[in-house]
Amino acid sequence: MATNFFGGFKVSFKQISEPRVTTEYPKEKKPKPPRAHGRHVLNRYEDGMEKCIGCELCAGVCPADCIYVRGLDNPMDDPVSPGERYGYVYEINFLRCIHCDLCVEACPTEAITESKMFEFSFTSRADAIYTKRELLVDDDGKPKAQPWEDWREGDDRNTSAWMRATSPQGSKDYEGVVAWSSELGHGIRHPEGGQGDNRDDEATGNISLRETRKDHIFKNDGGRVR
Amino acid sequence: MTEKLTNEETVTFTLNGEEKTAVKGELIIEACEKNGEFIPRFCYHPRMKPVGMCRMCLVEVSSPRGPSLQPSCYVEIQNGMEVNTQSDPVKKAQDGVLEYLLLNHPLDCPVCDKGGECPLQDQTLSYGPGESRFIEEKRHFLKPLKISSLVELDRERCIQCGRCIRFAKEISGEAEIDFAGRGEDTEVAIFPGKEFDSYFSLNTVQICPVGALTAVPYRFKSRPWDLEQIESTCQFCAVQCKLSVQSSQNEILRTLGIDSDAVNQSWLCDRGRFGFEAIYSSNRVNSPKIKKDGEFIDVSWPEAVEEVARALSVAKIANGPDSIGFIGGARLNNEGAYAFSKLAKGVIGTDNVDAQLSDGIDPNLIFGLRRATINDLDQAEIVVTLCGDLREELPVLFLRLRTLVANEALLLAEFSIGETPLSQYAAFRRSLVPGKVQNLLEELKDSFLSSFGRDDFEQKDGGIVFVVGNPGIGIDGLEIEHSIRALAKSFPNAKFLPALRRGNIFGALDMGLSPGLLPGRVTLKSHGSFFGDKWVCVPEKVGKNTKEMLQSVIDGTMDTLILLGSDPISDFPDKNLVLKAFEKAKNIICVESIMNESTKYAQVILPASMDHERAGTVTNLEGRVTHAGDKVTASGASFDDWVIASLISAELGDDLGFNSREDIGSEICSFAPAYRSTEKYFISGNDFGDGVVVPIAQVPVSIRARKSDPIEVPGLSSIERQGSPIRSGNSLPSSVAKVGSESQISFDNSMFDLNSTVSYKLLEEKRESSFYLVLEKSLYDNGTLLRESKSFENSARESYFKLNPVLLAELGVNEGDMITVSKESVKVKGRVVADSLVSVAVVVASWNQNSADSRELISLDNVNIVEVER
Repeated sequence: MATNFFGGFKVSFKQISEPRVTTEYPKEKKPKPPRAHGRHVLNRYEDGMEKCIGCELCAGVCPADCIYVRGLDNPMDDPVSPGERYGYVYEINFLRCIHCDLCVEACPTEAITESKMFEFSFTSRADAIYTKRELLVDDDGKPKAQPWEDWREGDDRNTSAWMRATSPQGSKDYEGVVAWSSELGHGIRHPEGGQGDNRDDEATGNISLRETRKDHIFKNDGGRVR
Repeated sequence: MTEKLTNEETVTFTLNGEEKTAVKGELIIEACEKNGEFIPRFCYHPRMKPVGMCRMCLVEVSSPRGPSLQPSCYVEIQNGMEVNTQSDPVKKAQDGVLEYLLLNHPLDCPVCDKGGECPLQDQTLSYGPGESRFIEEKRHFLKPLKISSLVELDRERCIQCGRCIRFAKEISGEAEIDFAGRGEDTEVAIFPGKEFDSYFSLNTVQICPVGALTAVPYRFKSRPWDLEQIESTCQFCAVQCKLSVQSSQNEILRTLGIDSDAVNQSWLCDRGRFGFEAIYSSNRVNSPKIKKDGEFIDVSWPEAVEEVARALSVAKIANGPDSIGFIGGARLNNEGAYAFSKLAKGVIGTDNVDAQLSDGIDPNLIFGLRRATINDLDQAEIVVTLCGDLREELPVLFLRLRTLVANEALLLAEFSIGETPLSQYAAFRRSLVPGKVQNLLEELKDSFLSSFGRDDFEQKDGGIVFVVGNPGIGIDGLEIEHSIRALAKSFPNAKFLPALRRGNIFGALDMGLSPGLLPGRVTLKSHGSFFGDKWVCVPEKVGKNTKEMLQSVIDGTMDTLILLGSDPISDFPDKNLVLKAFEKAKNIICVESIMNESTKYAQVILPASMDHERAGTVTNLEGRVTHAGDKVTASGASFDDWVIASLISAELGDDLGFNSREDIGSEICSFAPAYRSTEKYFISGNDFGDGVVVPIAQVPVSIRARKSDPIEVPGLSSIERQGSPIRSGNSLPSSVAKVGSESQISFDNSMFDLNSTVSYKLLEEKRESSFYLVLEKSLYDNGTLLRESKSFENSARESYFKLNPVLLAELGVNEGDMITVSKESVKVKGRVVADSLVSVAVVVASWNQNSADSRELISLDNVNIVEVER
């Protein structure tokens, strides 16, 4: 009887000295893995020019049909982006978006990237359609946080992590090779930790997936679980 | 590149080891394509002469010294020829050519309008090397270079295929664009200080295989994958070119010409291409309007229709149905024209209906002539033009005729007021002088035709085609009609192509929108009793034409005018007559899409949908019935014209009996003799192809294959896939013709008696120092549809007067000076243009251009004799 009773706590006693896995979400959040897909941002070059050229490749590739782009002739006296054309209208409907990131892959200028921020909800359909005003980074290169979005300290550093965590050409040999342009507020960013070893987590502030999921990984595999 | 139809001889050749047949004289590239083997190409275009410039179409061809690489667009197929399109040398050649073409081609694809439908992109993917070996800096030019108000040139993207240059030289005959420089400095250029201001400039954008030439109105508007398209028909002039209307987000963004062998052979004029912009005019009528206390207020449809019906009933009861008149109708489609014809003639009972604004030809004459098709020009030995400047009035018909005559495929005799682009090719030409047209035509017979020893052409079928229209306002229409009758009598086997210019004027006339006519090219006299049985009533007597209607309004015998998409104030030759009539008229009701001068006088305005917003059929100058589709929803509360006619009729107490436009189609086909057996063309969703020439010939006419260029309009291939390939010629529909089932309604053009003589006023001889005034029309003027299109709003020129240079010297003025032309107290100023082909007795004035209105000098009743001073 007693054996049976205390035997029921066997697992609990065994785990009592283990590190805690749960967090007080949403007060406290765990770091997100480098390839987490979240809300999009539209980036700028360091001189403040918009990277988007309104080519609509993102809209063309989008499987959920949630992106609407229209280009316009770039005013030569006050150019919005380098080149002849700029993105005049840019809208993403986040009720439709499945965060597949095909738009990021399709973008020829790395204008659209995804942050890791996914905690946002809306009270109206209109709020779910982000226009260029919401998507474009501000004058410091920081994403414009909307009142209904839950950005935490440091989250704005990771606005193009996914793109930099993978190889630009899909070839393993090029992983970690810088093939992207500079970003306003960040300069030329370091490669994120992806699959390869040639990463600099210090520089990116990135915490690898292995690190963030340490509490779930057995000791033998480099984690903390016994 | 139109060769006369001959009996086709075939040759056999080997294509990649398989025995195939081809037509003798065909190029290898055509023969292979017809046998299912697409050879990549850039410079080759089926409607232009081959040049072999891009070298993309290299194939291996057997030769006495073994197989060798030869450009397949330049070599004719021979019997026993062995062609290999897939061997290793061919692939290496294609690889090399593409690498070479891409050497200086910028990576603009994401921002390039052509990106997504670009032959260079597509063929690089299919035949190219895959990876570039070049890391060197590419060639740079200033980009983009605006070479006209409609076209921009990006020389960096150009691959020097010469298509645009060849188009300008061979097809439009305006070599305003050419190569400059040599070697790697070669660039497409315009002449210094000049613009590429051709009426056909945007065709070069459509045929450019890269994005080097882009259309300003479409620039950056969308990407190709955004576009949805339908096959439709342009309704800006009576040629009615086939085009693909492409829209995105319910907004039309561009149109592309479709290669319809019978009509436009893939070309469009710039006006037809971007004229749709008028749909988005800020002056669109978006809701019915009634004038109250001098101001228009928006009302509901029932309210507006009730007001119209009340006005019509009051007029009919008070002064009889003849007090009501309908002016215009060329902007309606056939369904709309039939509905209004039935409303006017079958419900109200008035015959005062005229789709022409007294500047055309009597339809009784047109219907009596042996009608030619546009393709008949290809067969003709001699073409005689007695009409206005075709480039200004029917631009794509001009392209066809110019190409033929420049290639010496026919002899041209031209009768025009002044110099036209065709004058330089004319084997015989005379300048028209009012009152002397008949004498000139006698000369044609006596001196020109006999001098070529072609006395036999009179008997020969199709040997001679007359293009007849109104050469200019100021020559009495009756005089022209008299001359045409005389021609028809002296050349009984000749064919006539009527050259009226308004959009669907031939559809409107066919549907009976003309005094004395009923739908299907029959007269009130011959078929009045037939239609009397079918309709509620038919008019008792033949009505008045537009000019007579306006005069009756001034006299007080008429008081109600309904304007069907017409603006007589800016479109009728005698502006003062219109203004006087409009001030006197009790009721003016406008069925209109865009506010204009004439709508100011309206009591009620009913908004009508425009081209590309309404589906229906239209009829062109050959009598070809084709489908014109609806791509976007109609603006505001606009209704199709037939709906408006039905609403008015129902309010008057007689339902027209139409619930859909197919209902009208079936009624047209059963009631209108000339349209018998054309049912399938009136049903939506059908495959219409090129349409059919009415009345349908009882013997099938030879059909020529379409020569579309698969790389020019990649988007259009979807049309081919969806329906059967676009056919041309007077194809006989499969469900043909229960001949004689209702013998009462057969069409027979002999009912229009060409022998009836019209007497026209012989002009009073002018004094030595005075001149006959003739007005000529231009493609670009201040007409409503052009003024309201964004790309053409400033296209009108300054008013001008064309005079013979001899007179310039006598008057002591130079070209470009201002002169005053006066008639009695009216004086009009304009710039002088020298034209050595204008008769010394004539002054030619511009029509509806900027700054001054020469119509002030025109009166339709009197001879228009003017004085000229500095």
